[in-house]
Amino acid sequence: MTEERSLYNPKSCRILAVSDLTPQEKLFRLQLNDGSPLNHLPGQFVQISIPGLTEAPISIASSPTCADYFEIGVRKTGLLTNALHRLQPGAQIGIRGPFGRPFQLEALPGKQLLLLAGGCGLAPLRSLIQYCQNQPSVYASVHILYGARSPQDLLFKDELLHWKIIDHFSCQYTVDQNPSGSCYDGQTGLLTQLLDGVQIDTENCCAVLVGPPPMYRPIIRQLRSKGLVGPQQIMLSLERQMRCGVGKCGHCTIEHLSCCCDGPIFWLEEIEQLRGAL
Amino acid sequence: MLKQLDRADIDHLLDSLHTAYRLQIPQQLPDGTRHLSPYTPTSVLSLSGEIVHRKPTSFFFPQVQKLVSIDPTGHARDLQKVEKPLALFGLNRADLMGIQFLDRFFLAAPADDIYLSLRQDALLIGLTGFSGPDKSFLPLSTGNCDIELVALAGHWLALGHSTIGKKLLDPYARGLNSELEELRQRDENSSGDLELLQQASHLLMNDLVPDSFWAEIAGRCILCSGCNMVCPTCSCFCVQDRCFEETTERSRVWDSCQFDAFMREASGHNPLGTEALRTRRRIHHKLAADIERWGEPGCVACGRCDRSCPTGIGMMAVAGEIVKRYGAGRR
Amino acid sequence: MNTTLTTCPYCGTGCNFYLLHDDIGQLTGLEPAANHPVTRGQLCVKGWNAHAFVGHPDRLQTPLIRKNGQLQPTDWQTALDLLHDKLRTIATRQGPDSLMFLSSAKVSNEENYLLMKLARAGYGTNNIDHCARLCHSSTVTGLVETLGSGAMTNSLSCFAETDLIFVIGSNTTEQHPLIGSRILQAVQQGAQLIVADSRRIRLSQHADLHLRHQNGSDIALLNGMMRHISQEGLEDRTFITQRTENFSALQQALEPFTPEYVATITGLSSQQIMDAARLFAEADRAMIVYAMGITQHSHGVDNVRAVSNLALLTGNLGRPGTGINPLRGQNNVQGACDMGALPDVYTGYQRVADPQIREKFSAAWGVPLPETPGQMSTHAIEAAAAGKLCGMLVLGENPVVSDANQTLVYQAFEKLDFLAVIDIFMTETAQLADLVLPAACYAERDGTFTSTERRVQRGRKAVEPPGQARADWQIIAELLRRCGLKGDYTDPAEIMNEIASLTPSYGGIEYSRLEGEGLQWPCSDNTDPGTPILHTRTCTRGKGHFSPVTYRPPQEMPDLEFPLLLNTGRTAFHWHTGSMTRRSHLLDREERQAFVEINPTDAEKYQLAERQQLKVTSRRGSVSVRARLTERVPPGQVFIPFHFAESAANVLTNNALDPESGIPEFKVCAVRIEAC
Ligand SMILES: Cc1cc2nc3c(=O)[nH]c(=O)nc-3n(C[C@H](O)[C@H](O)[C@H](O)COP(=O)(O)OP(=O)(O)OC[C@H]3O[C@@H](n4cnc5c(N)ncnc54)[C@H](O)[C@@H]3O)c2cc1C
Ligand code: SF4
Ligand code: SF4
Ligand code: FES
Repeated sequence: MTEERSLYNPKSCRILAVSDLTPQEKLFRLQLNDGSPLNHLPGQFVQISIPGLTEAPISIASSPTCADYFEIGVRKTGLLTNALHRLQPGAQIGIRGPFGRPFQLEALPGKQLLLLAGGCGLAPLRSLIQYCQNQPSVYASVHILYGARSPQDLLFKDELLHWKIIDHFSCQYTVDQNPSGSCYDGQTGLLTQLLDGVQIDTENCCAVLVGPPPMYRPIIRQLRSKGLVGPQQIMLSLERQMRCGVGKCGHCTIEHLSCCCDGPIFWLEEIEQLRGAL
Repeated sequence: MLKQLDRADIDHLLDSLHTAYRLQIPQQLPDGTRHLSPYTPTSVLSLSGEIVHRKPTSFFFPQVQKLVSIDPTGHARDLQKVEKPLALFGLNRADLMGIQFLDRFFLAAPADDIYLSLRQDALLIGLTGFSGPDKSFLPLSTGNCDIELVALAGHWLALGHSTIGKKLLDPYARGLNSELEELRQRDENSSGDLELLQQASHLLMNDLVPDSFWAEIAGRCILCSGCNMVCPTCSCFCVQDRCFEETTERSRVWDSCQFDAFMREASGHNPLGTEALRTRRRIHHKLAADIERWGEPGCVACGRCDRSCPTGIGMMAVAGEIVKRYGAGRR
Repeated sequence: MNTTLTTCPYCGTGCNFYLLHDDIGQLTGLEPAANHPVTRGQLCVKGWNAHAFVGHPDRLQTPLIRKNGQLQPTDWQTALDLLHDKLRTIATRQGPDSLMFLSSAKVSNEENYLLMKLARAGYGTNNIDHCARLCHSSTVTGLVETLGSGAMTNSLSCFAETDLIFVIGSNTTEQHPLIGSRILQAVQQGAQLIVADSRRIRLSQHADLHLRHQNGSDIALLNGMMRHISQEGLEDRTFITQRTENFSALQQALEPFTPEYVATITGLSSQQIMDAARLFAEADRAMIVYAMGITQHSHGVDNVRAVSNLALLTGNLGRPGTGINPLRGQNNVQGACDMGALPDVYTGYQRVADPQIREKFSAAWGVPLPETPGQMSTHAIEAAAAGKLCGMLVLGENPVVSDANQTLVYQAFEKLDFLAVIDIFMTETAQLADLVLPAACYAERDGTFTSTERRVQRGRKAVEPPGQARADWQIIAELLRRCGLKGDYTDPAEIMNEIASLTPSYGGIEYSRLEGEGLQWPCSDNTDPGTPILHTRTCTRGKGHFSPVTYRPPQEMPDLEFPLLLNTGRTAFHWHTGSMTRRSHLLDREERQAFVEINPTDAEKYQLAERQQLKVTSRRGSVSVRARLTERVPPGQVFIPFHFAESAANVLTNNALDPESGIPEFKVCAVRIEAC
């Protein structure tokens, strides 16, 4: 059955569960009302619709290998995201998508993977981590490096511990500041410091970066100096304001590219020369 | 086959169209503005003059356009289809190029069904030849319309470019090919504006325009957004929801890349965070990025932004300045 | 797509555009008029979005009456009967002067006329005023004294024929964008530009001289310039002898204002003052452009006098490309004044105190009229707060957010026995009312508006008002009828005929003559083509009168406790209290919340960061706003726009009033800032 439906018409979707990740971020477990799977790939996003507040692009934080539901991790920043945070399990929201170019999965088997996330970026990266987690031996190794502002900003704390103990996996995280009196006993410092300590198999390594804009330049510089200079060695996600998700509204353009359909995931060499990309 | 129409034939053609189409023809508004307005048997058709003021692409991509309506249970409904297709009469070459550009943009996969619903089955009728201001000469179209009327002294040559266009022209008399040929010759040397754009485009694509230039031009921009509002190839929109008692109506509204909030993100981070960057984008996007993406510039030289810019920094003015400062002597 | 030509509802420039509407009566956009002399196919950002609020779901659709503390829907009959009954009862019991009528610069000339007629003839009080009190009352008082007419002397077309433009206290590219653009174009064509403004506004980037004088020191600056001009012998002797009076008094008054003395007051260098004087005086044709930076001071009228003196001294009056050009803010603030929505005059500035005039109106309206001039709106607020006013009818204004010292305004409204508000949205003021009546907005009714260059133009109805909303003139006509006066006007054109018959300067205005470009008053009869430039041979009052003034500091200056000077105003994207622009998607998105502009050096001094939420406090209250670090404001000054009701700048401002015009000192008060 193919239903003719407008590009802009959101499908109804139910909130199955809500949990707190941090004081600012919540994890929502969602299911399409008709029970069908979302059919997404890691790195893609959906447009979340709430009547009266339009839409916001949110990355899918779970792996497509789980077909019963999908998850999104949302930070409250504005009108729509705050409203979403007030919703309870059972509530209905609208969804369009999945949209966007996913992580380039076909380039990854056999590689040493460096998965680097900053702040909220761990949510989208989690879909890739979970995807890898289901078939750990396909990759030479998987190194997860994650930096958050403070201990209370760390997302997916339980999973961070779990990822440490999977075969072929390593997982390290750090916080920028550890306020006195906190019971956090992990590392303090920048993500670049964690990266310093990683042994890189220059020829066979692929790095994936998801984080806030200021994170990219220093990390890329460091990866380059560690020898990741070839094509298809650094993949990153570029987020922009997005209104349509389908390449029409123009809000997400970087020179001639649209982040919503040419991205959000790009190979570094595709965007490096573009003004305003990084 | 080339046809020929006289004034009465044109009335006849319009009359025959208006039952099946929502026909729009150029008319003078009270202050003299030349505008595509609905045809009625009493409307006064303007067969020559300045380019119609409002961009014809606004018929397919209006300033405010409903996308979906959402009922209180959150169920979203597609909008109802329009009854009658549009027919636009009196488009010059630039406007036809503008529609062609926007067609390609909106219909590229995934096709924009909202645009398509208005564009599908619409009829485009070009008006070229001696139909400019004071019956000055306007270049012929590139064939991207259903029918093209080419104005001569007292009659119009008519070309059917599409099947339906040909069929509509069936009833009319044959025209003289020699007359058309003569005009084609004339056409060759009427592309000064496009040439200027090409030169500016070349400079932009080779990164020969310094940032200080954009800062200077931006200093004269009063952020009216008019240049984007009037541009037939501008396609950016934002989305607004309006909650009425029964439904929420979601619409798209023309947006402008000259606004600070166009790309500003929740964190305050803004990839287009200065007036200079936004001014650069306004020009660069049309003359460089669009070429990169679509193989053609986004500016069709219709002249609207130069007319609507209150401070004289429309596309042609800026392109002219670029070529003057960074072009001559360096090539 | 149907088209209706109309006049922009925002600023006083007077742009015209076509509203586009579909067959089911909804606006689908707008298009600037290509051949209109002001618009010329161009609009500013507010103009381009002027259709957006019209169909907003928040529009008021039914009359509302307060019952058990709640505003509840009612029908028109009940609402109008109640309104009339309340006003009549107060007028009888407490006296007509315990009523106050606030008219609006957003409604048409005809509606302003009817409301002032209602106040005077219907309920017997001259207590009628409108927001010109807050913007150009200083201009009217000042220029009527010196020239005989308070209007902008020249036309917008003059910007193309001038040698020099002196902009003082006007952020023209943001507040009158299409006048600002004419200034920028004039500069491109070679005209010189002097900008006197403490903020680094866009025009200042293009200026030959930017004078960042201390807020409130305009008189010192202008007197200093004039003194230097006479010292150098650059004044226009012929003009002074032939066209002016009282010159020697001016010379005397200027004496103390040496460049050195002026430098100490203004914070400028004495060289800058002398340069400005010379540059200005040497221009053959110079235009002075000013707005709220001149008028909104406790010495606003004196500021205007000083501006007028400068123009007279240099003979810059009565010729193309010259003149004193106060830019009117609202699209019909000129018209509301012209229509006598002021406590002391009828239409065309005909004085209430003049028995002959009173007799004329009394005869025309068929009732005796009150003799004593009424109260200014700012005084009325003070009176209400003191419990000396009982009832108020507010038409299309939102004083709770727009008047100085919000706390006082709230007190005033709470003390009233009865408050009725006619508006298109549930404004902060309407929320306090006992009765709220839904009005048609500009796109839904006919009428005329008078722009800053005295151009009377048509507004035309494009679509039907929402629900039961009605045009203001229809609402007021119902009240006139209940007062036993003529209320059966068939349309605004008929009202305009009545206005023309009573108003010499509008004598030749009739609807059939307003198609096309409109008419610039004075226009005395139906053969008069109108008057683009005033005071050409003689001034309206005869001789131009030099009115010497001396410097007085603002009433509240920064001190140890409140160390920063607060300046208030508008942004390019919002209109006043935001009831329309905050409901226009693009404009709202651009500026969604209140901010305070702070110079980076002050930010460093007080350790404030960009986008930090701050508490700004004055002697009258505090608001919370977001920090915006920018060189636009000089060190020591902060700027907050007054659009945002939830953090209203007017909680902070000082209601120190000019003794003559009653305008509050919106441009200067003292505040302190802390993180919150
Ligand atoms: C591809 C992509 C994936 C994303 N994934 C996630 C995610 O997994 N989790 C998450 O918490 N957030 C994610 N975001 C960011 C999220 O979309 C924004 O935080 C959200 O749109 C803010 O909407 P709002 O209505 O709450 O705020 P608003 O009140 O609309 O906006 C507040 C401010 O944000 C700006 N803004 C509006 N839309 C966006 C936008 N789309 N992106 C950035 N700024 C915007 C506005 O201009 C305004 O300045 C993602 C963004 C993109 C582009
Ligand atoms: S039309 Fe001119 S002033 Fe207006 S936004 Fe465009 S460039 Fe700026
Ligand atoms: S300049 Fe004034 S009148 Fe003109 S469009 Fe802008 S707000 Fe309206
Ligand atoms: S989100 Fe609309 S073009 Fe990318």
